[in-house]
Amino acid sequence: MAVEARVNPLVPMEGRIVKIIEETPDVKTFHVTTEKGKPFTPMPGQLAMLSLFEVGEAMFSITSQGPEHLEIAIKRVGMLTEALHEAEPGQTVGIRGPYGNGFPLDMFYGKDILFIAGGIGLAPVRSLINYCIEHREKFGHLWIIYGARSPADLCFKQDLFENWPRVENCRVDVTVDKGDEGWKGHEGFVPAFVEKLNPSPEGKVAVTCGPPIMIKFVLQSLEKLGFRDDQIVTTLEMRMKCGIGKCGRCNLGSRYVCLDGPVFTLAQLKEMPNEY
Amino acid sequence: MSRIQERMRARARELLAQGTVQMVIGWEKGTFWYLSPPVFITDAGECDRLVWDEFCANNLAKYLLDYKHTEDKIALFVKGCDARGVVRLLQDNQIEREKVYLIGIKCPGMKDGRLADALGEERRHEVPLVAKCRFCTHPEPVIFDELLGEDEGAAARDAAAAAEGRFAEVEKVEAMSPDERYTFWTSAYDRCLRCYACRNVCPACNCRECIFDRSQSGWCGKQMNRGENMFFAITRAMHVAGRCIECGECERVCPEGIPIMTLNKKIIKDLNELFGEYEAGIDLEDLPPLGRYKLDDPDEFH
Amino acid sequence: MVKIAKEKLPVLLQAWAAGAMVFVPQEREGTRVFLPWNGEGKLALGEENTLEPPKDLFFPRTETMYRYKVQGQDAEITEVPSFEDKMILVGVRSCDARSFALMDDVFLTKGYVDEFYRRRRENTRVVALACTEAAPTCFCTAFGIDPGRAEGVDVQMRPLDDGYLLEAVTEAGQELLNQAGSLLEEAGKASPPGAALPSLQVDVGGVTEKLQQMFEHPYWTEVSRKCLGCGACTYLCPTCHCFDIQSENLGNTGYKFRCWDSCMFSEYTRMAGGHNPRPSKKERLRNRFLHKLQYFPERYGKFACVGCGRCLDRCPVNVDITRVIREVKEVTL
Ligand SMILES: Cc1cc2nc3c(=O)[nH]c(=O)nc-3n(C[C@H](O)[C@H](O)[C@H](O)COP(=O)(O)OP(=O)(O)OC[C@H]3O[C@@H](n4cnc5c(N)ncnc54)[C@H](O)[C@@H]3O)c2cc1C
Ligand code: SF4
Ligand code: SF4
Ligand code: FES
Repeated sequence: MAVEARVNPLVPMEGRIVKIIEETPDVKTFHVTTEKGKPFTPMPGQLAMLSLFEVGEAMFSITSQGPEHLEIAIKRVGMLTEALHEAEPGQTVGIRGPYGNGFPLDMFYGKDILFIAGGIGLAPVRSLINYCIEHREKFGHLWIIYGARSPADLCFKQDLFENWPRVENCRVDVTVDKGDEGWKGHEGFVPAFVEKLNPSPEGKVAVTCGPPIMIKFVLQSLEKLGFRDDQIVTTLEMRMKCGIGKCGRCNLGSRYVCLDGPVFTLAQLKEMPNEY
Repeated sequence: MSRIQERMRARARELLAQGTVQMVIGWEKGTFWYLSPPVFITDAGECDRLVWDEFCANNLAKYLLDYKHTEDKIALFVKGCDARGVVRLLQDNQIEREKVYLIGIKCPGMKDGRLADALGEERRHEVPLVAKCRFCTHPEPVIFDELLGEDEGAAARDAAAAAEGRFAEVEKVEAMSPDERYTFWTSAYDRCLRCYACRNVCPACNCRECIFDRSQSGWCGKQMNRGENMFFAITRAMHVAGRCIECGECERVCPEGIPIMTLNKKIIKDLNELFGEYEAGIDLEDLPPLGRYKLDDPDEFH
Repeated sequence: MVKIAKEKLPVLLQAWAAGAMVFVPQEREGTRVFLPWNGEGKLALGEENTLEPPKDLFFPRTETMYRYKVQGQDAEITEVPSFEDKMILVGVRSCDARSFALMDDVFLTKGYVDEFYRRRRENTRVVALACTEAAPTCFCTAFGIDPGRAEGVDVQMRPLDDGYLLEAVTEAGQELLNQAGSLLEEAGKASPPGAALPSLQVDVGGVTEKLQQMFEHPYWTEVSRKCLGCGACTYLCPTCHCFDIQSENLGNTGYKFRCWDSCMFSEYTRMAGGHNPRPSKKERLRNRFLHKLQYFPERYGKFACVGCGRCLDRCPVNVDITRVIREVKEVTL
């Protein structure tokens, strides 16, 4: 495509799905690359607009990246995500980005980090976890608390049960709402699990992402445990179209979640209108 | 009109003070002398905001939908067209009769606020009737719990209605050649902004969710072009076929002045010819021609 | 200073139209709108401002963004339309001229430039027309706008009894006047009538600060009761800029387009799964007013209302932004 398309932020690059990993019955991870290699190099927590030209375009967190590709984990919920789940490696997609502020890394350097995620909410958090692992010396203890509806719904199982537990000074706790015969781990909702594990707020920063209802109760739990608003980081989801702060729809007060978010501290969120 | 206004305020005060209703919906004075927009009163002390003058054109019936999931009983002032709007909502099972208290007013015909501005307040009495009132067949409410005062302006209205003719505009369009008609409608709807004011004000447009609010479904497109605009125009008109109460609100609220009632009336005229004379929203028991089923229907149902 | 006789203005428009698309207010079905000048329309420069704002010339109601072709797994973008035409807008009022500056803030600043908007904007010259008479709905002066002199335009016109005074404000404006050649004459001491004095007066001082404390205020329930939830106000507003992006498929080809959208619609913020952060007209109307009077000032340092009064003029239920401003300042917190 002409140079024009490259400089026009609303016109995507043509990319290709090169690999698809089935995470759960309704989540797949897609590896996307372009003829020129990796579409762009995002920071942890940043976003991409992914499209099938004839179906639609939507915003997704970039959950990880390699030297040649981006990884995007997608839950099947509607038209575009349905069509993507039916795609096979080799499929052309449109991709543009990176968008959003990403995680405020400065806030995490030298601190212990508590990651709390539910369901597909692990996708954005994972980009930060992997970053911390790659730059291990810059961060303190890593503690990952993750939950899903059932054992089958756990995303990124290889990371959860093999890769991350092996990392030095890193702890992983997993829960499911309801187990099955084979499940030997914890059963129960994430917020209660967090309270039970009782992490101390001392020297820590907490990052949480998941379904809105989970976030709501996790924030209450963290407050109970003594975490301050400026020690808690979360990510928001709003409907998005342009991704670049023009189309207007993702506004939360005077900020655009696509541009000024999606990552906010709880302290920032409390300053903003409660409209998400 | 001022006598009616006094009684209006007094009744509203009583109903709220006695707790018979929790809200009264009527009209109040707006930004300019020629505007009397809807007002919602919940406090008996605020009833003096209510006005009754020649600019109370807004049909209030549709607002009942906003409160259908509340426990509140609502008093509504109804002119002829508001009352027909209420019948529409009742027939469509949108609201419960017990939850509304209808105070009828015999309507002398409302004046056109947009034309009033140009004339100026000194010539207030010269302001013409608003288009929707010129061919009104039921200025007196067809359903009410109580009636306020006497009809004050029937003479003027009758003269106007007779002069105009309910289907006069339709006949003009029918007389056009197909090409002229195409140009007439496309040039009208090329202006359409797709603001949906016509839909939102309409008591017959009472779907819980409108397909035009579901553009992602693929049934309709969001492009503002001739094809999509016409699709909207025709879908809206067909959807209210046989159910349109002829309150003329769609045309009155349209910011682009599109002759929407000509389209609605064409369908009414055709229905009358096909299924016999019918006026929607007059009689609770008389269902719309396309909304009833008869075992002895002359046409087979396949 | 130069002037042009009234009857010669169409000739000048014709001359400009040779090298550009000229848009000028003309009569259409009893109202006035910006239409391309083809020498035949009826100019409508004397009366009130246009029904629709000129924003669609930079930000069309519907605009193709790119075309694509899909073949099995393969897909490619085949064309990104690029707007090359030159445009001249004639008869832009001061309020609308300010709206261009506000749109520029949105589309050209804060990290990303909207190329579709930029092209049209940069290809356009603006000839403003001073207002000598205000409509009952005008309140531009509330935002420090001078109805007699527009900001950021190339030429300023002022009506005279028998013609218009023309003043080049920029070099591009001077070029436009040079093209007029012998159509212009020395104005001598012709003095134009004074600027209009809007009848609606409203003091916006402090309104942003007050609104910052009013997000949860019951006022929004009350003010939104009569709102129909239609999009007339947003579509007629010169500063509303929200858009949607969708695709239209035609067999194995298709195109992505963007089109105007409105924060007054339920679909606007509805998310996958059905959750809607602005579920009712209360939240939506509140967002519209906060956007104009609080969020935009916080983000860009300016009010996103220019006092053109179009929303007030056409709102079917008389939701009046000047009244909202007054009431907001009065309500107790
Ligand atoms: C900042 C941000 C980060 C995100 N990160 C991720 C991520 O990492 N992973 C991820 O999976 N998601 C993520 N999302 C969410 C993702 O953007 C949405 O899931 C996606 O937009 C869904 O698109 P869709 O086209 O598949 O769904 P849509 O089709 O837009 O809508 C889904 C809903 O609409 C309804 N619907 C669907 N089709 C129809 C129809 N034909 N008619 C009527 N109704 C219909 C369905 O009820 C469904 O619930 C993120 C969102 C944001 C804003
Ligand atoms: S009110 Fe008029 S402009 Fe708005 S959608 Fe209806 S016909 Fe179109
Ligand atoms: S809010 Fe109303 S008055 Fe202000 S610029 Fe928009 S349309 Fe004009
Ligand atoms: S997605 Fe368009 S402004 Fe955020």
